[in-house]
Amino acid sequence: MALTRRDWLKTTGAGLAGAPAALGAFEDYFQRASGAPAGMTRIVTACGICSPACGIQAWVQDGKLRFLEGLPGDVSGGGHLCGKGAAGAMQLYDPDRLKYPMKRTNPRKGLHEDPGWVRISWQEALDEIAFRMKQTIDTYGTEALLFVTLPSPDLWARFMNAMGVVNRVDHRDECFQTDMIIQKYTTGAKTWCNDFENSKYILLFGWDILAKAKLAYATGIVKARENGAKVVHFSPNYTATSRFANEWITIKPGTDLAVALAMIQVILSENLYNREFVDNYTNFGKYETEIRTHFAQYTPEWAEQISGVKADVIRRIAREFASNGPAIAPAHKKSLCANYMNSTQLVHAISILNILAGTIDRPGGRYFPRMHSIPGVDAIYPPPAYPPKKGRRVDGRDKLPLVNEVDAGIFSTLADGMLNKYPGMIKFSFWNAYTILGFPSPLKMVEALKTVDFTVVMDFLPTDTVTLADIVLPSAMYLEGNDAVARDYIAKYPQTVARKAVSAPIFEAKSIAYVAIELGKRLCPDYFKTPDGSWINPSTLLDEKVRRAGLGENFADFAAKGLVEKPQPFVPRTTFVSVAGADGKCQIYVPQFVAKGADPLPKWIPKRDQPNEHYPYYYMTFIPAVHRRNTTENNSILHEMFPTNAAIINPALAKKHGIAEGQKVLVRSRAGQIELPAHLSETVPPDVVMVAHGFGHVSRALSLAGGVGARDGDLIPDASIDDFVAAGNYGGSSCIMDAVCSIEPL
Amino acid sequence: MQAYGWLIDEKLCIECRACESACKMWNQVETGVGVRRRQVRVYTMGVFPQVRQQSLTGACNHCENAWCMKVCPVKAIWRREEDGVVLIDQDKCVGCQQCAMFCPYGAPQFNLRTRKMDKCTMCFDRLEQGLDPACVTLCPTGALKYGPWDEIRGKGSETTENFAPPRQTRPKIRFVKDPFPVKG
Ligand code: SF4
Ligand code: SF4
Ligand code: SF4
Repeated sequence: MALTRRDWLKTTGAGLAGAPAALGAFEDYFQRASGAPAGMTRIVTACGICSPACGIQAWVQDGKLRFLEGLPGDVSGGGHLCGKGAAGAMQLYDPDRLKYPMKRTNPRKGLHEDPGWVRISWQEALDEIAFRMKQTIDTYGTEALLFVTLPSPDLWARFMNAMGVVNRVDHRDECFQTDMIIQKYTTGAKTWCNDFENSKYILLFGWDILAKAKLAYATGIVKARENGAKVVHFSPNYTATSRFANEWITIKPGTDLAVALAMIQVILSENLYNREFVDNYTNFGKYETEIRTHFAQYTPEWAEQISGVKADVIRRIAREFASNGPAIAPAHKKSLCANYMNSTQLVHAISILNILAGTIDRPGGRYFPRMHSIPGVDAIYPPPAYPPKKGRRVDGRDKLPLVNEVDAGIFSTLADGMLNKYPGMIKFSFWNAYTILGFPSPLKMVEALKTVDFTVVMDFLPTDTVTLADIVLPSAMYLEGNDAVARDYIAKYPQTVARKAVSAPIFEAKSIAYVAIELGKRLCPDYFKTPDGSWINPSTLLDEKVRRAGLGENFADFAAKGLVEKPQPFVPRTTFVSVAGADGKCQIYVPQFVAKGADPLPKWIPKRDQPNEHYPYYYMTFIPAVHRRNTTENNSILHEMFPTNAAIINPALAKKHGIAEGQKVLVRSRAGQIELPAHLSETVPPDVVMVAHGFGHVSRALSLAGGVGARDGDLIPDASIDDFVAAGNYGGSSCIMDAVCSIEPL
Repeated sequence: MQAYGWLIDEKLCIECRACESACKMWNQVETGVGVRRRQVRVYTMGVFPQVRQQSLTGACNHCENAWCMKVCPVKAIWRREEDGVVLIDQDKCVGCQQCAMFCPYGAPQFNLRTRKMDKCTMCFDRLEQGLDPACVTLCPTGALKYGPWDEIRGKGSETTENFAPPRQTRPKIRFVKDPFPVKG
């Protein structure tokens, strides 16, 4: 199929007129030549490595995926891909992939035990899993089941709901959970949308946003700077974002909260806030006295003592932020404001900064997504009533009512719950696409998992978690499935991209939706039937979703279009906040927090671990730009770019301890120790040891990543739920940056 | 001869390495044999906190006066008339690594499996089809561009920090030094 450039614009360009950005902002002197490589077939699909789901045009030659590039005209990623997205095919064809269901024969479990896998059929695997689940529930009740999975896709959520699963945990305490909670109460909607390109002032707390890809953000910031915006980056270490920013300000780890509080103090005391917005759309008027009194204590001089950032710098940045709008201080996840004991308070303070700037759902600010609404399975085939969820939460999450409310997390207290709080309670566990590496104190999680009678792991690679399974299910990956992906990262107007399989699943890999249906048939059949009594079929379901969302007659029709956009003018909201009692206003002061045991306004609390005589240095971790946490280290192209990790330290610190470049060092914290080579770099402060996350896979079945590098998580203490409650960490931020360490040469 | 060259705007590089992945994928360059035809190199300068970094995406610059070609004892390196692309003939190459020694940019690399030299071809197969080189196609910020050399040579400076002086080989590459004129 040969396509000319004109044909392409026809297929993807429906929304171009309304979206000038879609033409690609950077082709200033050279028009991108885009055409079909000879002898190749084009398939439009969407990247699935990280969340913005950049549009892809995949080129297939002789049935084999040859090349992935961005989808011209797509605003997510500006029609481009990042290094990870471009290397996705190496994951598809990774020779180490799990190919068949397998069963353990060696009863001894451990990271270094050979499981003695034998191949079994899907039928046998599903029968056994269903039998074990049923037996567990009959004997111990549903609280004995643990699901370490995300709630998605909707069929999987339906299965867990139908079974009354109470113990489901995921990684969001390490990621955007705090942001989710704060957004719900301060501005109303969960959003990842930042209108960088129309912003004039972008304030980044700790986030290496440019190098982390999420191209939708990176290209937005690049455009903002082209438009003359100022970018300010607070970060202890120097990163690609620091280089790109107009101003990089080094700060002590875990003290961003002090700076944000002081900025609020300056803006309030000098009355620099956006009056029009604050008077009309926030609860400032109602709580003015409380707010002003509360923040008065947080002067820039006070913040200087804590953060090391000069008071006059804080004062200047606060004034600039408030007077050079539209301004934005994005918040999102762990790599922003990292993940300290005080991160929930920080996200609240950042939300207040945005509210004071008056850019909530305004051009140049944080806006709410305008998306196609794609109905879920429960809307299409309404289920019988779900049973109530009974039993104890093994991670103790219900002690943090706000976390409970958003149905998130939590990883960081799971091992403690399983080993100490409710020992022996969990009898059956099901893991999907989560590896032990993702946990703080991963070895403790291994011990916890050993106390479980029966564990199922579904993944696409033989990770360390797989090594601990009783049954392994091979998982299909994003290039092997069909879906309609509604963009929620860059959703100024609705845009939904077709994720079309570029390859059939290799060997016997299947999707988690398939497993949901098959287990559903065996365990809760009433929930997996259509009104005419047949079993739910995922592709019929997808056709129906596409039809009801108005994307096409069915999936095939939608997939032929590739990207469906509905350009519409941006109409700013005038009502905010969905929680009861918020009067349709953004909330600076959150009265509802009081009843939930949280402070209505952010107050200063320190990070959890402070440097001390045994552990004098801050321990920081990061995810390299070319990797996606724990999932891409075995991708041969990405592995070549970033094969392993090191202890990155300042040459001054190296000198103090007599450490040379490349020398093996021992890094210790109160949680554990790791050995790895030192790398000397002037980009880190002299009191920091920095280690890349995602390395130290034990599983030798990973031929590239196995046995390579050190597990950064070994140095990060997990926590008990009581620690979080006592510290006022009401958002359950998992403290995966909140560690201190020592270092010595070996 | 319609020669092509690279244009690098180093401040726009976000180190995403799409250029590297794209090169590997399109050209099916084997991994694990020591060949990365395009590579993003990061240089650190200064002392904390007066520190600065530069990231430079680099490949073969298809030099006007290609030393690699001059020094090759078996004449395995040649230049295409139609587009000025410098190529290594895999049949002739004996893997002596002379070219690697004389190229100032580390472009020719020794393939540990084939035991011959390998390097960037400027995706001449794509150029022939009217397509951009794979790396340029993917670069999300426009940090890496290419174009007809007559146009490129006027677009930026001849050299930059950490880039070997171009006088000897006359590489077909230019650097944009100040991409962010502050407006208003
Ligand atoms: S930013 Fe990169 S990994 Fe994320 S969706 Fe886009 S191409 Fe894929
Ligand atoms: S960059 Fe090196 S390999 Fe390429 S033409 Fe110049 S001298 Fe030869
Ligand atoms: S693709 Fe562009 S932005 Fe990314 S590393 Fe290469 S040159 Fe830099």
